[in-house]
Amino acid sequence: MVKVTYISVSGVETTVDGREGDSVMATAVANNIDGIVGECGGSMACATCHVYVDPAFAGRLSPRSDDEEAMLEGAASDPRPESRLSCQIRLSADLDGLVVRMPEEQM
Amino acid sequence: MSDTIELAPLDEAITIAALTADPYPIYKRLRAESPVLRVKSVGRTFLTKASDTKLVKDNAALFSSDDPNTPMKRAFLAHTLMRKDGKEHMRERMAMLPALMPKTISAHWAPLYERLAAEYVGRLPRGEVVDLFPTLAGPLAARILAHIMGIPDASDEEMQRWSQVLIDGAGNFGWRPEPFADSDLANAEMDACLERNAERLRAEPDASALSIMVNSQNPIPWSQIVANVKIAIGGGINEPRDAALTILYGLLSERDQLAEVQRREAWAEAFEEGGRWCAPIQASSRLVMEDTEIRGYRIPKGDTVMTIQASANHDEELYEDPDRFIVFRERNPHQAFGSGPHHCAGAHVSRRTVGAILLPMLFDRFPDMEIVDPGSVVWHGFGFRGPLNLAVRLK
Repeated sequence: MVKVTYISVSGVETTVDGREGDSVMATAVANNIDGIVGECGGSMACATCHVYVDPAFAGRLSPRSDDEEAMLEGAASDPRPESRLSCQIRLSADLDGLVVRMPEEQM
Repeated sequence: MSDTIELAPLDEAITIAALTADPYPIYKRLRAESPVLRVKSVGRTFLTKASDTKLVKDNAALFSSDDPNTPMKRAFLAHTLMRKDGKEHMRERMAMLPALMPKTISAHWAPLYERLAAEYVGRLPRGEVVDLFPTLAGPLAARILAHIMGIPDASDEEMQRWSQVLIDGAGNFGWRPEPFADSDLANAEMDACLERNAERLRAEPDASALSIMVNSQNPIPWSQIVANVKIAIGGGINEPRDAALTILYGLLSERDQLAEVQRREAWAEAFEEGGRWCAPIQASSRLVMEDTEIRGYRIPKGDTVMTIQASANHDEELYEDPDRFIVFRERNPHQAFGSGPHHCAGAHVSRRTVGAILLPMLFDRFPDMEIVDPGSVVWHGFGFRGPLNLAVRLK
């Protein structure tokens, strides 16, 4: 199990146990975390799973692809350097304790 | 995979006419009795449970959109991104998507949408009985789309006719000549329209889809730019139109909920529930690339499965009282916009036009609007579905 903490816009923290190999988006959806929609199921087609990754974990993530960059560019809330589509972050032991913050809006 | 596993049961009773008139009771029965069913009249294997439709849509490698045996190519005179997979699909999609993303909508389009909606709503005569299909929902959807696409000189009439002709052609599985004669004519008109607007936008770029595509540093071929706009025309009018009419019907039939929506300004929730309750696009097809299995039935390579998102959106495993329009649901994970790589590219636009602008504006102007005779509203369609008319008294 990999612990992931989701922090809502209003500051509410929810920590859940995710499975290695699952995405941060799918883990949120499976746990009914508000603020992450993931409507396209993880195909980088909707940009409704935008998160800001805690900078402490930045170095442990694979880089953003061009398509992910393009999707973040048009997302409902402004992208920042730590922005990711949470469908593109796969949980691994290395990410145990991951913290992500939700943006203002996803749609 | 073993050949001893059985194929899904075969149904020879369900007709396209019955599905077109009212598919929901049929889907309810199928979800309970035969969630994987080969339906002879349609020539497809129906999947009616939410988890199955999502699984298929999310696995494009196994369930392909690249089905060469559809009339779409003939109707559009192009192999469009709707019928492609993988990198090629993604490249053509991403060429146009920036025009349809939330940031572009907020920055460039929202004020224009407001103005257009105000203009069309403003034309409606107070106190009279008006059918909102031809007077508002259809033409406003056409006008907004013409601007987003970068072809504002196309008239409402042209946009709506082109859209319907493309839909009729793409659905012409009987390969009759007349629908293709109509689509050939529409294609010639659209091609001319696109060429003159591309020339204009090369000189004066804006945030429209056509401008973004033709002015890209690494543009996709002109044939695919044209095909992308045609896909948007084919899908971008009936869907917001039908969604708007469906939501209006739902709200006007449930006055208590309408009052609560007005009080809380819960237009976004009303929008989602309308899409769930009667999805404008009810079903999609996918080609099976390898022998596989769903719910214990053998799904052979070469079979075509039909994901019935209309049914997924009424799945009792996810929804209480699914046949009822209930705005304030705790969860509403509907699949009206599909899932996977082909997730509706117009989802953000429709939420921000129909949901955020049109609905509140219409009820602000006509807060006591009422349906004249609910029984007179005709619902129609198997692949695409919505009300064909919606006569209301504007008060």
